[in-house]
Amino acid sequence: MNTATLAVAGSRKTQSIVDACSGGQPGVRRLVLTYTLTGQRDLALRLQKACPPGSVPEVMGWYSFLLRHWVKPFLTLKYPGRRLGGLNFDGSPAMTTKGYVIATGQDRFLDEQSRAYKRFLSKLAVDVADASQGTVISRLQRIYGEIYIDEVQDLTGYDLDVLEQLLNSTSTIRLVGDFRQSVFDTNPQDPRHPKFRGLGMLDWFEEQREAGRLDVTHSSETWRSVQPIATFSDSLFDSSLKFPATVSNQKITTDHDGVYVIAPAHVAEYLATYQPVCLRQAVTTQVPDGVTATNFGVSKGLTHDRVLIFTTDPIRKFLTKGKPLSDRSACGLYVAVTRAVHSVAFVMDNPEKASVPTWIPRGHSST
Amino acid sequence: MIDRVIVRGYRIFRDFEFEPNAGTNIIVGDNESGKSTLLEAIALALTGRVGGRWAQDELNPYWFNQQDVAAYFDSLATDKPIAPPEILIELYLTDKDDDLQPMLGAYNSRQEKVPGVRMHIAPNPDYAQEFSDYMSSEDRPSILPTEWYAVDWREFSDERLTRRPKRLGVSIIDSRTIRSTAGVDYHTREMLTEFIEPKERAEVAVAHRKARHTISTGTLAPVNQRIAEESKSLHDSAIGLHMDQSSNASWENSIVPQVADIPFAMAGQGQQAAIKVALAMSRSADTTAYALIEEPENHLSHTGLTKLVARIEALAGTRQIFLTTHSSFVLNRLGLDKLVLLNNGTKATFGSLPPDTIAYFKRLSGYDTMRLVLASRVVLVEGPSDEMIFERAFRDAHDGSTPMQKGVDVVSMAGVSLKRGLQLSAALDRQAAAIRDNDGKEPSHWRDPLTDWLKSGVREVFIGDPADGWTLEPQFAKVNDDATVRQLFGIPDGEDTVEWMSSHKTDWALKLDESKTPVTFPMYVTDAVAFVS
Repeated sequence: MNTATLAVAGSRKTQSIVDACSGGQPGVRRLVLTYTLTGQRDLALRLQKACPPGSVPEVMGWYSFLLRHWVKPFLTLKYPGRRLGGLNFDGSPAMTTKGYVIATGQDRFLDEQSRAYKRFLSKLAVDVADASQGTVISRLQRIYGEIYIDEVQDLTGYDLDVLEQLLNSTSTIRLVGDFRQSVFDTNPQDPRHPKFRGLGMLDWFEEQREAGRLDVTHSSETWRSVQPIATFSDSLFDSSLKFPATVSNQKITTDHDGVYVIAPAHVAEYLATYQPVCLRQAVTTQVPDGVTATNFGVSKGLTHDRVLIFTTDPIRKFLTKGKPLSDRSACGLYVAVTRAVHSVAFVMDNPEKASVPTWIPRGHSST
Repeated sequence: MIDRVIVRGYRIFRDFEFEPNAGTNIIVGDNESGKSTLLEAIALALTGRVGGRWAQDELNPYWFNQQDVAAYFDSLATDKPIAPPEILIELYLTDKDDDLQPMLGAYNSRQEKVPGVRMHIAPNPDYAQEFSDYMSSEDRPSILPTEWYAVDWREFSDERLTRRPKRLGVSIIDSRTIRSTAGVDYHTREMLTEFIEPKERAEVAVAHRKARHTISTGTLAPVNQRIAEESKSLHDSAIGLHMDQSSNASWENSIVPQVADIPFAMAGQGQQAAIKVALAMSRSADTTAYALIEEPENHLSHTGLTKLVARIEALAGTRQIFLTTHSSFVLNRLGLDKLVLLNNGTKATFGSLPPDTIAYFKRLSGYDTMRLVLASRVVLVEGPSDEMIFERAFRDAHDGSTPMQKGVDVVSMAGVSLKRGLQLSAALDRQAAAIRDNDGKEPSHWRDPLTDWLKSGVREVFIGDPADGWTLEPQFAKVNDDATVRQLFGIPDGEDTVEWMSSHKTDWALKLDESKTPVTFPMYVTDAVAFVS
């Protein structure tokens, strides 16, 4: 049975893939797909260590997967005589000045050197699979007994059609992901399935589950953040989404654990005292001179003891008035908060108005 | 398993296609019919190499089909030039094996969705300018500039191949013998190294490096010291000797097989072939699904060959074998049904043979089947005397030309039933005349059971009228003057002509063959001569 494990941050998702591969049935050919390049290298190294030589799973990026196993072997059946040249990562087919793609037919998918445009790659994959009359899937399922897909929340648009065809194959598909970390998007410009974007993908999973193609389980234990941070991270999302409460297995405590707010005036002293890693939503978020901050999205996958977050207006409104964040902001902030093991501090004016405790340097009064 | 082989534009093969058997394929044909070339083409597509060297490095103008090349150069002078010659070799593999699925795709000339490999040799578009400059220069010879050709080796999935795919392991056993100092050829070395388990290989590699290191640091140390002293005056820096630790000096290159304590290269030629086959067998069928064997009968005695053929049969159990041979024995033993007959770069159609006939020739493995297979027109006679008499009758009708000179092979069945010979001729769709005695029965008695394999004007049986005698001797005596016959053969007085001839079959046949005396031949013999003329 195909499974989807929806896990919280710090729940050792990647390790669960490594464990499943190394502890699985011997002699099964496995493919592990992941989205980020660093993720691929890290995963490949860990799998190599954990699995006996000769049965190390193949690790591949999502785009390479579509290129190598969907488009390349059968492109000529869709567009006779064409041979795939590679991937055109940044380019775009002919567009109007307003940015609408006007190229049609093969020019919409392939550039002059026959490289596939990234933005329409998954649509091309689906088209070629149709032209192959099912051979794409029959070939894949005969090569790989198990296919793991990490960071499944990043798949959107026609990727979901690809995913659905995989779920219908005889290969066992294991999906691992965390919707609360939907900060990337394989197809930002793909208009297909808009309702399944971001947290909306939960509905897609529900559809697949109802169709009997997928078992969905939640994994809500974190080995990273202490309980107060875990609980705070849960509060970023509307309870109607029914995410189970995160349970922390982090047993190490320090004298400064949990979620705090601090006044801009105290940033320097806070930095000196705790050496947190500074994060911000995007480059547009103001940070004081001399401070370097990492964007939320870039920090994904990393662990830091302490995190200092420079806030945006919606984040401040959430902290003071409890005003819900948009899905996208919530996901970004979730990634940032769950990087921390021990403490998260938000920088904002009037910290006393926030619903979390204020940190004040020793010897200072609260006003 | 290879389901289909397509070779276009490669040497003798202009447009060649064949669907091999799952087990053994015995490739037979005259010299220059393309037997070795077919093995070479298969090896090229499987390994990307020719004789152990990369195709790109070995590529030369003579790889291209010379008819294609001539047509191309001829067309350049016209207003409708054709495209430059290309070489295409495609191996279509079975779709039944999951392990081959990664090689599946639609990039093959049939656009079939099956696994396979394809080698395409065509002008390199990067050098289009150079190519066209060469072609338009006035004093260029009519030789293809292969330096501007590119070898494109891919799976049917369009994935480029840079080394032999693991699943396409092949043992290549050529009949060339080794007398080089290196000890073994590339293919044999490859077989050898695979013979050794990965763990053992690591151990051998370590021990080998260590030994070399010990010689460098130990044995050579005092030598180097002395040289250093003495060379001071010659050169500023010290000169010394060291064992080569580069990859050239890896253990694989210094290991040679030994047979009963004799190095492989010093073994007899026949034994070398036998060892190569033995090595090929020792590789697991998992890693070597194919074996290409060239003329295994070379350098082997009959007993040696018997053993070798038994080994090849065992090898065939799990592998697909492509074997060329000139030996009837090899052909009979491995099974006539495995025959792939080549004729000047094309494959002759070969109908099916009844299983009992295949089994029959396997038992009669000494029979010279190859003559039946290779002859374009064949006359089947019962024994050596019939053979000589037919030859003489043929010469009389052709101003002294022998049947062989006219492309007719007279084959004595020597106890093999006429039926089997006709079955084989029919399977090959050969023209054949069979001559036999009537033994006192009406010709229809002998002809009727053979109807399935006879075809008017193509394959016919020639039998004398029983009224004129049961065998050739009375038939011959009947149409010739008795005194002439008695004198010609020197039949002693008191002996009956026919009785003497019947008990001295080869004597009179030989005398007739050597004499120039005009004689008359029975009607059925002259009919047979006319039939094959």
